[in-house]
Amino acid sequence: MASETNEAEADVLGDEIAELEEQIAATKKQLKIQASTIVASIPSQSLLKESSRSRSKNNKKLLKGLQGQEAHQQQCLHRICNPVTAFKVHDPDPNAVDGGHVLGLRFEVMSRSQFLKPYYVMLNRPYSKSSALRVHRHTLPSAVPLAGLAARHLPPPKPEDENPPSQDLDQFVRTLRREIIRYHNRLGISADLRRALGLHQITEGDTGPSSIVEVGIADIEAKQIKLTWSDERNGRLVMDDDGKVTKFSVFGVDGRDWETTKSLFDRPQRIEEVMEKLKQSSTS
Amino acid sequence: MARLSVPNTARLPSSVRVDASTSAVAKSLNRLTRESLISLALDWLDESAFPNSTPFLRARMSEEEDDEEDDDEDSEDIYPPARTIEDLRQLYEDMRQQKGSKRDVVSRILEGDWRHGLTLYQLAMADFAYLDEHPTSQKWNAYQILPLQKPSHTEDEQLLKVDKESLQAPRFHPSTFLQNLQDQVLPDVKAHYHFHRLQEFPLLLLRIFVIDSPYNSALALSSLDQSGTVTNFDASRTIYLAFPDGSPSLYTTKSQGTGSAGMGESKSLQNLIIDGVPKALSRPMERYTVKSTSITTRNLIALLDMKGPGRGNAAGGGWSIYADEKNKHSPLDAILPTPPGSREQSASTSGRKRGAPLTQSQRDRKRARATAQSRFGESASISDGKGIERFEVVLQDPFPVTSRNLPALEENQEEVSEDGESQSRTNRQRSKVESVLQQAVQDIDDVDDVNEVDTSPSHWTPMLKVTFSGPHVFAGIRQLVEAGIVDGKRMPGWMTGEETVTKGAVHRGRIRGQKGSGI
Repeated sequence: MASETNEAEADVLGDEIAELEEQIAATKKQLKIQASTIVASIPSQSLLKESSRSRSKNNKKLLKGLQGQEAHQQQCLHRICNPVTAFKVHDPDPNAVDGGHVLGLRFEVMSRSQFLKPYYVMLNRPYSKSSALRVHRHTLPSAVPLAGLAARHLPPPKPEDENPPSQDLDQFVRTLRREIIRYHNRLGISADLRRALGLHQITEGDTGPSSIVEVGIADIEAKQIKLTWSDERNGRLVMDDDGKVTKFSVFGVDGRDWETTKSLFDRPQRIEEVMEKLKQSSTS
Repeated sequence: MARLSVPNTARLPSSVRVDASTSAVAKSLNRLTRESLISLALDWLDESAFPNSTPFLRARMSEEEDDEEDDDEDSEDIYPPARTIEDLRQLYEDMRQQKGSKRDVVSRILEGDWRHGLTLYQLAMADFAYLDEHPTSQKWNAYQILPLQKPSHTEDEQLLKVDKESLQAPRFHPSTFLQNLQDQVLPDVKAHYHFHRLQEFPLLLLRIFVIDSPYNSALALSSLDQSGTVTNFDASRTIYLAFPDGSPSLYTTKSQGTGSAGMGESKSLQNLIIDGVPKALSRPMERYTVKSTSITTRNLIALLDMKGPGRGNAAGGGWSIYADEKNKHSPLDAILPTPPGSREQSASTSGRKRGAPLTQSQRDRKRARATAQSRFGESASISDGKGIERFEVVLQDPFPVTSRNLPALEENQEEVSEDGESQSRTNRQRSKVESVLQQAVQDIDDVDDVNEVDTSPSHWTPMLKVTFSGPHVFAGIRQLVEAGIVDGKRMPGWMTGEETVTKGAVHRGRIRGQKGSGI
């Protein structure tokens, strides 16, 4: 009996400790937010700067924190305003080309009014005789045709040529960002469609014969969407770069289902319009 | 079954049976666990699979006859055939509840319920069940699928080049792919195809089972030919292709034979398949080719990380901090981020340290750990499951000359030549080294590199190949750095795994041609 009560007590204590630890973590986080807010506010900044003459140890620490905070805020501001920002990286490899100088590019992506994790492209200068850039590392998904864009806008210099091909970093970044955003929008479309059809949560039983039960991305570039109806009909939707539906087909159990195809898609139109029709046909 | 078989170019149907007494059949079942054998049998009895895996059932007879035969058969048959599928299903469900040996289940399948033979479909499922259980049982080579230039009409019979400026990504449609691949297969070989999705990995697997026979009926697999000598099934080959979701890559395995066949033969089959795949992927006005990526590993997770749909394709090693999905770096977050490896990490130990100042060794260890963190980032931890088991590089840099080691150079030369145990072994290794070099030269698309190939003759450049092997090579190197055995600051970048290759040639301290661009 005694051991049982001890165990129960230990459990209670353990829970309490865990709870307290959680509280500590939350308070620490709160403290950090408050501290950064206070440091970032204009009155406290001016106060700090005024007192910068005194050379106390605490003051120095505060000033250092202030500088870091200011730099960070500036960076954040730039990132909020500009979809592409550049930064400098040092390549830790001792044998790195060009003394380890690397130019980093940060591509912001947003989805449902939230910043997602940005994509990065790092460029370096490996060529001895020219200052041409070259893609060193990147975190882009395979669906973004980085190789093709780099070959078009950042061609490597050729020694035999008198006038080397000119590199256009600006154009490279522009087209690359365009491709990234297009890809993300296409991903977003199929997620929106899934949400519109109520497929994001599993609901059993209320599926009519003509309701769509599955929506999936069918290719690397997310340009094709696979649809499955509850009566085992299959559909495929193909859109182009800009989200215009170019092809649409539905297959029933016995061959092509022209009727549904026609009712949903009669001429090339925007994916949003087709989505609306799909939604209506699925709920009716 | 029709006795007449006409040679044709069709694929082998899934319903073709292989004699249950074939040793290869027993072997492929025996390597499965009891648990998965039973669930496999239940899958075979499922309605959707049923046409391709019909069990041996008792023929319907009149009642009296049946009763009589019951007694007869029970005496000699250990596994009396079941009357209906439901009975069988129940039987296997019961077996799942009970305890027993694996051997019982295997012999029940082979000598009882499928005594008339297992279909190719069943064998393929058995192989995939094994792969599900042992995902590291195959060694995968990664290939990249690249678009080719459109042929111009002015010149015909030209060699098509890789279109570097293309923005297309290949589309993969399983059934179309299979149809086109079948067109590439020669009429004197017959193949059986089976698609499967592994439970834990986002990739589609294709198993290709090839036998040398012009027939696509059961005759192709009959263990005895008319002459009574040739056993076709023993000369069969199995090869796996894997298509990762959302990535223009392809993974293949080496072909495995059930019987004994020469190295060359299996290699040529693999080449045949590799040659056929780009043709099967291509469409009119859209041609593709495959290119080896110098990645070979057993670990599918590592492979998907290095050549998959994610962000890590060209950001390995220390660069992985940029590809890490966990920290989001939202610009709306006003809190000053703590750089990795600083205060935050050592917060737990700071209380203890405050009292006494660090000793020299402690400080060294801390510094070594920080260096490792800066070189490897969050990658290469022993528990991340992304370990590659083999990493080979050929060093092409001249031997570093210092005043101290100059007299020792002569000795070194002898040492190196004595290194190979026997002459034949050295030769084989030499050829391996050369193949890596060849691959590297092919990879060079960089003008500067070509210019640099002529190594200055004044330096002694030994032919050196370094092979790291172990359960997780880069985690091992990281541990060496953390322990202070390898100097983290002077360690070359390829030792951190940031190049995302498993073999390569190192020149001027960098892996040649690759440069990690991943493009």
